[in-house]
Amino acid sequence: MRRRPGIGGLQTAAAARDQYRLLGENVAKLRTDLMKEQLATFRSQLEEFARKHKNDIRKNPSFRSQFHEMCAKVGVDPLASNKGFWAELLGIGDFYYELGVQIVEICLATRSLNGGLIDLQELCKLLRQKRKHDREAVSEDDCLRAISKLKTLGSGFEVISAGKKKLVRSVPTELKKDHNEILELAQAQGYVTVDEVERRLSWTHGRAIDSLDTLLEEGLAMIDDGHRDGKRRYWFPCVSSISSFGV
Amino acid sequence: MQKLGDFKLPHFFNYPPYFTLQPVRETREKQIQLWKELILDYCRTQKIFVIKLEEEFPLFSNSAIERTLSHEAREAFLSDLVAEGRAEWLDKGRRSCLILWHRIQDWADIIVNFVKDNGFEDSVMTVEEIRSGIESRGTSIHTFNHVNELDLDKFPFAKGKLAIFKGTSTDDEGIKFSV
Repeated sequence: MRRRPGIGGLQTAAAARDQYRLLGENVAKLRTDLMKEQLATFRSQLEEFARKHKNDIRKNPSFRSQFHEMCAKVGVDPLASNKGFWAELLGIGDFYYELGVQIVEICLATRSLNGGLIDLQELCKLLRQKRKHDREAVSEDDCLRAISKLKTLGSGFEVISAGKKKLVRSVPTELKKDHNEILELAQAQGYVTVDEVERRLSWTHGRAIDSLDTLLEEGLAMIDDGHRDGKRRYWFPCVSSISSFGV
Repeated sequence: MQKLGDFKLPHFFNYPPYFTLQPVRETREKQIQLWKELILDYCRTQKIFVIKLEEEFPLFSNSAIERTLSHEAREAFLSDLVAEGRAEWLDKGRRSCLILWHRIQDWADIIVNFVKDNGFEDSVMTVEEIRSGIESRGTSIHTFNHVNELDLDKFPFAKGKLAIFKGTSTDDEGIKFSV
């Protein structure tokens, strides 16, 4: 049939476009449905897996960590709520909640010694000592997850990096970049001198003193005037292990 | 863990900054609290009653980390103990400090109990008799000697329970118990 221009032709073209569009939508819907189905299958397989390996997940920190990664890939967060399948099946919500509480206790107890900043490894060590009698072992990964949960509660907890170390902050003190750099420097010997800060970071005397004074005021640093070379040292308890100071 | 003889030293004793009096108030308060506890614990276990600030005292320096407490720091810690009622200055110059690891009231109770247990009420004894009496019965009150170094009239345990007679010499000092 000869293509007819004019209204009739336009109407046919419009109808054809509609048809294609509907087809396109159907295809998209089909794909989504397929994906949803795949996800549902995967999810129930994950649940099956969790059921079967419940004990391993509870007892083995590295297994637990891998399990979390698997869940994350599928968009499942076992810690999302304390109710529902995951929490009930695994009791994992409780585990991290309990961990969070213990972490808060430790941070509060050590705050007057380290100004509210504690080395993650040190925290884990104290946590393990505290949980000596518990069946479930605790890894740094567990600590980090518990802390991130604490963070969402708006409790002022945060993990910051300073050089090679991760430090857990439990006070609202904002650490500026300058402070962070000093903390990094302090990790070598546990302390810094003003000279050292000026020299190694190429700062002016004023900048060095300002930052050190702030860290002192915040309770993150302590002064030491007792060395025989007469130079004042600024020590940082948060980069030392509280239970093995100095010697 | 470092030790001084039998005594286990706390961790902070090995951290150099604790030997410098801290300028920041909160940090200093924590520092003073830790040192006060250490001093009381050490004195109690070693049965030390008097600390002389200008002399060598094992707690005042840590040779392992080459640090020594300044005179100012020593005075700060001891003054805080005095303010808390756990110590008394023995001289106005604050060179000598009596450590009351038992509070004065506790010492008073010990003495009063000794008196009751041994039927010494209403009798007058010399201080020396009391001291050797108490010691001979196995109660460790060697401190009684030192207690005399203070002005006895100041003593809270004198309220109504004991009357003190001052003689011409310390040997003559007597205490009457009316328990």
